[in-house]
Amino acid sequence: MIPNKQSVVVVPCSGIGKPFGSVSREAAYVLCEELRPADTQLVALSKLVLGEQQARERVRTSLAVTIDGCKQMCAAKLVKGNGGAIGREVAVFDVYRRHKHLKPQGIAELNEQGKKLARVLAEEIAESLDTIDCGRSEQGGQHA
Amino acid sequence: MPELPQRKAGIVACSGEELAEGTVSRLAALKVLQELRPGHTVTICLPLFLAGGEGDRAFARVHPTITIDGCELRCAARGTEMYSGKPAASIVVNDLAAQQGLGKIEGRRQLNAAGKRAVEIAAGRLAELVDEVLGRPHHPAHGGEITEPAPQQTRIATCSCGSGIPVGKITIDGNAVEIVALPLIFQRFHELGRSPDAAVDELLATVKIYNYVAPGAEESFRETIVRAYAAFCEEEAAAQ
Repeated sequence: MIPNKQSVVVVPCSGIGKPFGSVSREAAYVLCEELRPADTQLVALSKLVLGEQQARERVRTSLAVTIDGCKQMCAAKLVKGNGGAIGREVAVFDVYRRHKHLKPQGIAELNEQGKKLARVLAEEIAESLDTIDCGRSEQGGQHA
Repeated sequence: MPELPQRKAGIVACSGEELAEGTVSRLAALKVLQELRPGHTVTICLPLFLAGGEGDRAFARVHPTITIDGCELRCAARGTEMYSGKPAASIVVNDLAAQQGLGKIEGRRQLNAAGKRAVEIAAGRLAELVDEVLGRPHHPAHGGEITEPAPQQTRIATCSCGSGIPVGKITIDGNAVEIVALPLIFQRFHELGRSPDAAVDELLATVKIYNYVAPGAEESFRETIVRAYAAFCEEEAAAQ
């Protein structure tokens, strides 16, 4: 568990039409449910669309990790738009470029490669969680 | 009236990642998009109303839109109304589950039996609403034959991300006004050889399908749109 700090907020994109969106969501679940449940909390992007008070408060008071499935980068934009600071800004496609053998397919049900890509992505983020709060990132953070 | 590209029903799911009901909303939407009403439906990610451009925000003005939410926060319905347009209809998974006496929905990554049943019921209701908003004869979502041939289209979720609806800007009574689908309308009328003078009423009627025109502003819209269309025709002629 990360000592002396609030848990990291994890915001995946709400991608519904492309496999990369499904990978972003699955990676967030792997990270928050399996790898670092004590250090992370998931925030639904739809709440940030609405400006829901509790969700806004959570992104404002905790460092955020955003995981986006396409170039629109909705998760990153909405965290910034709600006054949040991003510690790690991940684009699924960038991770895929380093793991081209893991081609995600399927939207409602990801194929095995897509699930593996999500796990790789989640593991990379999990490894970096202990270091991303150094000096608290500026808004915009770093791109994976 | 000249036909623009086929009108489709829009489906916007909250996709709420925190709750199992959010997963139900997303899977029900996908079932309609991919299986029950392919070719008649299109979707967009809810956050694009903020993160995207004007064409993305025009989604609910061009497509009669049905929202599906997981919980009573109704992020999809309220977000769509705030940033795009009033939904034609809305569903809340929690309400539907209570009405149907389903048990507790659990498992945001892997739905339990109640969750899977909720997907089926919500998708069936969504399909009915798609038929209603498009004015199509209703086809049962389950156990029935769809006799009307579906348009030739692959069975994938038709996503509007990054492919916003074109918007035209004109000045009406000194104010810059954005008209959704105007470039498409002009292009289609021109292809059909409609002259500006002969197409006045048709142009305004078509613009009004996709845009709100206040009754008191119709005359100004009519004059300005016809002038803009005449300029468009001149440009097309000069380009040839």
